[in-house]
Amino acid sequence: MDELIHTLKLQIIEALNLEEMTPDDIDASAPLFGEGLGLDSIDALELIVLLEKHYGIRLANPSEGKAIFSSVSSIADYVSKNRKK
Amino acid sequence: MGIAITGIGVISAIGNGADATLASLRQKQSGIGEVRHLPTCHRGLPVGEVDDSDNELKHGLGIAEDTEVSRTVLLGATALHEAIADAGIDKAQCQRMVLVSGTTVGGMDVTERYFGQLAESDEHLQPVMSHDCGSSTEATARYGGIGGVRCTTVSTACSSALNAIAVGAELLSRGEADVVIAGGSEALSLFHLNGFNSLMILSQERCRPFDAVRNGLNLGEGAAYVVMQRSDDATGRVYGYVAGYGNACDAYHQTASSPDGEGAYRAMSEALAMGGVKPEDIDYVNAHGTATENNDSSESAALRRLFGDAMPPVSSTKGYTGHTTSASGAIEVVISLLAMQHGFVPANVGYNTADIACIEPSMGIEGVSLRRVLCNSFGFGGNDSSLLLSLDEPKYPWPSYSQSAVVAADVVIDNSESLAELRQYIPVLETRRMGKLLKAATLSSLQALRKAGIDAPDAVIAATRWGMLETSERFLSDMCQGGETMLKPSLFMQSTHNTIASAIAIRTRCQGYNITYSHGSASLDWALDDARRLIAQGKARSVLVGLHDESTPMFADICRRLGCPMPYEVYSRSILLTTD
Repeated sequence: MDELIHTLKLQIIEALNLEEMTPDDIDASAPLFGEGLGLDSIDALELIVLLEKHYGIRLANPSEGKAIFSSVSSIADYVSKNRKK
Repeated sequence: MGIAITGIGVISAIGNGADATLASLRQKQSGIGEVRHLPTCHRGLPVGEVDDSDNELKHGLGIAEDTEVSRTVLLGATALHEAIADAGIDKAQCQRMVLVSGTTVGGMDVTERYFGQLAESDEHLQPVMSHDCGSSTEATARYGGIGGVRCTTVSTACSSALNAIAVGAELLSRGEADVVIAGGSEALSLFHLNGFNSLMILSQERCRPFDAVRNGLNLGEGAAYVVMQRSDDATGRVYGYVAGYGNACDAYHQTASSPDGEGAYRAMSEALAMGGVKPEDIDYVNAHGTATENNDSSESAALRRLFGDAMPPVSSTKGYTGHTTSASGAIEVVISLLAMQHGFVPANVGYNTADIACIEPSMGIEGVSLRRVLCNSFGFGGNDSSLLLSLDEPKYPWPSYSQSAVVAADVVIDNSESLAELRQYIPVLETRRMGKLLKAATLSSLQALRKAGIDAPDAVIAATRWGMLETSERFLSDMCQGGETMLKPSLFMQSTHNTIASAIAIRTRCQGYNITYSHGSASLDWALDDARRLIAQGKARSVLVGLHDESTPMFADICRRLGCPMPYEVYSRSILLTTD
């Protein structure tokens, strides 16, 4: 799981173009949206693309992403259970 | 004296021409269906395509089949011919005619066709260089039978055509033209179909504006133009008068509308105030009503704020035409004029289930008198506009022009090295989606404001020839190489020409007038002219005007091969005009 979390952090940094951030700067259990990292609805759409591109997971509705994208840990949990590749 | 509409022309999924459009509206016949012309893999997405193929449109216009003309131009020229013939205007007898057109997509269909071949072959470079909005308008004038007339292009995404009509009305009221033809044209493209799809706001079914189970919009295409003259010059038939207009910026988010619909509320209020009418005087509202969750609840909030318990009949006609993006404002003005002329409220087709967050739209009323109609048109970045149409000649006085403008600051950024300075103004995280042009434009704007000691301008006006070239090219490249899936929404949301002016408005919380001109090398002159007008009329005390353009390695290579002047890697000039 730690390896998946690290990989996800790198993929998030690339997909969201988080210049100057490293995986260590992202707390895996901290909220990604709102209070935490401060991401918004467009970032959520980018994360949906990320899941499909790297893990073959397709979310049909952006609202499904809300719970999944609450933190890097929650994404890792969802990916490990649902990944197609 | 008022601005009279003396001719109309329209083409959309519900018909080629005003008569066919009227028949579809009265029969409640939607034009939304399966894709037939657009070469997309998303066959399951319903669209409002114009029936005619490119070749059929060319036959109608007398253009040879092998002549490369974009579909946006073909649709525009078709509607333009109709409008001019309808008004009975003879170009030879009218020297002071101006065409104001709205588009964003421009020649995208042609660019998409040849994008993959541009690196190896010089064959299609020239048509691709005619992609820009300004060239698109000039070609529309040419094929529409009024080649050589003075033209300009407004590009505020989905509110482009409505803003074009307002800009045209201003030219007439200032006496800068005797006849103005204004509207817009937009053809479906793979680019924006996939772009809207990446934002996950396209419905797999026919759209249902204001419905509780609405789940997104259907894209459409089309064009419409109105011929406008000062009422003293209008000797023939008058469809109605442009009695007022409002332009405001929601300044909330790059793609989403605010929950309370502030921009929409301001735009509608301004249109009513200009026309000197009260909310209870409005007989019908043609809503923007795209059928996205966000637009319809936001627009409903704005409508409820304005009309309270006395809501007039409201309907969205997107269920007929689909969302025709930059052309929608003009198409819906024509639909509104037809409704006023024939005394009916168009049905909000697709609606079934009431939503507590939305107004209850009209399912159509026959035999009514519509003397005053409000037509809403909103765009990405919160470019919200509203136009007031009236059957009676408005009594408002012509605006007076007293204030003169002075340049309070003039800042130029012409290289990407200086973009690091943006950190002095904005945290790095907030620049994560910005390409170099948006960074340069934001920086030059903030520097100009700081120089002049002003926190926020009263209005923002942008000029750009090519717009957001880098992000558009990346999206196009991903789509042409990787196919029509998994495309990046953050690239698409930064592809419209009005991205810059709306981002500046969001940054400075400027909810006033906001517009973008994209008409080749004349863009800045049109922008400055509009800014001086706002100040002269006392509508703004400070206006931030900018000229913003950029290049990419691919674009620079095309310019070199065509022998065109080499473009700047990035260029942003911000001029702050204030009252003296």
